[in-house]
Amino acid sequence: MENVEKQVREHAKKLLADGAVDVVVGYEAGTLPFQTTPCIITDPDDTGRLIWNRFCSVNLAKYVHDIIFAHKESQKRTKPEERTKKKVGVVARGCTTRSLVIHLQEKQYDRDQVVIIGVPCTGFVANKKLSIAVDGREITACSVSGDTISVQTKNGGKDLPISEVLADNCMTCRFNNPVISDEMMGDEAPAIPNAEKEYEAVDTFEGRSINERWAYFTKEMAKCMRCYACRNTCPSCYCKICFIEQNQPRWVGVGIDETDTQVFQFMRMFHMVGRCVDCGSCLEVCPMGVDLRTFLKKLDKDDCRLFNHRAGESMESVPSLSAYAENDKEEFVFEP
Amino acid sequence: MTEKANENWEPKIVAFVCNWCTYAGADLAGISRLQYPPNVRLIRLPCSGRVNPFYVIKALQEGTDGVLVSGCHPGECHYISGNLSARRKFAMLKNFLSYVGVEPDRTIFTWVSASEGEKFSKVIKGVTEKVKALGPAQKLVKKL
Repeated sequence: MENVEKQVREHAKKLLADGAVDVVVGYEAGTLPFQTTPCIITDPDDTGRLIWNRFCSVNLAKYVHDIIFAHKESQKRTKPEERTKKKVGVVARGCTTRSLVIHLQEKQYDRDQVVIIGVPCTGFVANKKLSIAVDGREITACSVSGDTISVQTKNGGKDLPISEVLADNCMTCRFNNPVISDEMMGDEAPAIPNAEKEYEAVDTFEGRSINERWAYFTKEMAKCMRCYACRNTCPSCYCKICFIEQNQPRWVGVGIDETDTQVFQFMRMFHMVGRCVDCGSCLEVCPMGVDLRTFLKKLDKDDCRLFNHRAGESMESVPSLSAYAENDKEEFVFEP
Repeated sequence: MTEKANENWEPKIVAFVCNWCTYAGADLAGISRLQYPPNVRLIRLPCSGRVNPFYVIKALQEGTDGVLVSGCHPGECHYISGNLSARRKFAMLKNFLSYVGVEPDRTIFTWVSASEGEKFSKVIKGVTEKVKALGPAQKLVKKL
């Protein structure tokens, strides 16, 4: 992993120095011990700040989109012939590249505007799980060696197998290596062993009674305080004006009514049909720990079972709601 | 929906229908003097592909007991493929609504062509019966 980190730094430096990209998006150390934060680097000498480890969690595709669109917006008053394109280099693991594929398929920017520095991924540590593992105590230091993670708190240290604190989405990930990349850093990571169990939780949930499902949904949505962090971090949520802020018509109320929250979450999740790459960013940033994954994974499952499509799998796979087939299943259609 | 289910309770059903087939089908049912329950409120749209899933959710939130979406039969869309795109959307929507715990019979999708006045009246009868059996909507409903 250190080797990959070194290669990322060198490659980013080279790209910036050659002018192949204007900016590199990657991860750097955060202000708290072991935590990481996205960073945006424009100076080749700053590339030493880049890191790559098991604590890099957020999907960086969102930043690529933001940078390119902020630049586009700033050129509104420039003559068309003088406009420039922003080129972004991005440190991308499997799910990040899938999000980039979705952006490219949805024609958000051109392929030559993004240089993908592919990194192999073996899963990231979920902050919430780690916090639970140490009973919510403040973590002073944390390090990973092999498959063991050592956590230090003021009350002493603790060694844990890393599988106990990996994010749920990483445990059953099918795409831990980049699906597209311009340059791959290091060797490809081995496949995740439990990938075929990815819909197990959904199957269990489907088996519960309708009232139990509703009770769980309302319980989870009652936690939501509508900070919209999930939307802000989601690479597939890039509308200039989100339906939440739209007021003609006003789709969803902004008050404290519980059904407004349910409708907001339901519709935001529904917008992820065939677009959710299960990167876990929304879960990672949610301050209230709302279990969105149980629901998002259902959309993924249906998308896969009904339309044989996986979000951002390859540039050729057509987004499922942008396409149709004459023989799509229609058992759900009511015939009197 | 604060009213309790009693014997006199009648469901409110909103139907989003396409201009070219189902609306004309409803027209035919009317011309042919076919009887169907008066619980349904038709909303005419250009195509079933025009139905934003949000319309369905919003209708449920604002207090309808059932939602019907109906368009041309697959392959007969006035806009060639509007209903085929809609079919994918609704397959996902219906599954997802039922997954979060909203009764699947509250949202019903069907195809009625312009010549099927008979079928239209049957559909409305069927939908009204289904929704009546479920009782007033409780889930997702905004209490005003």
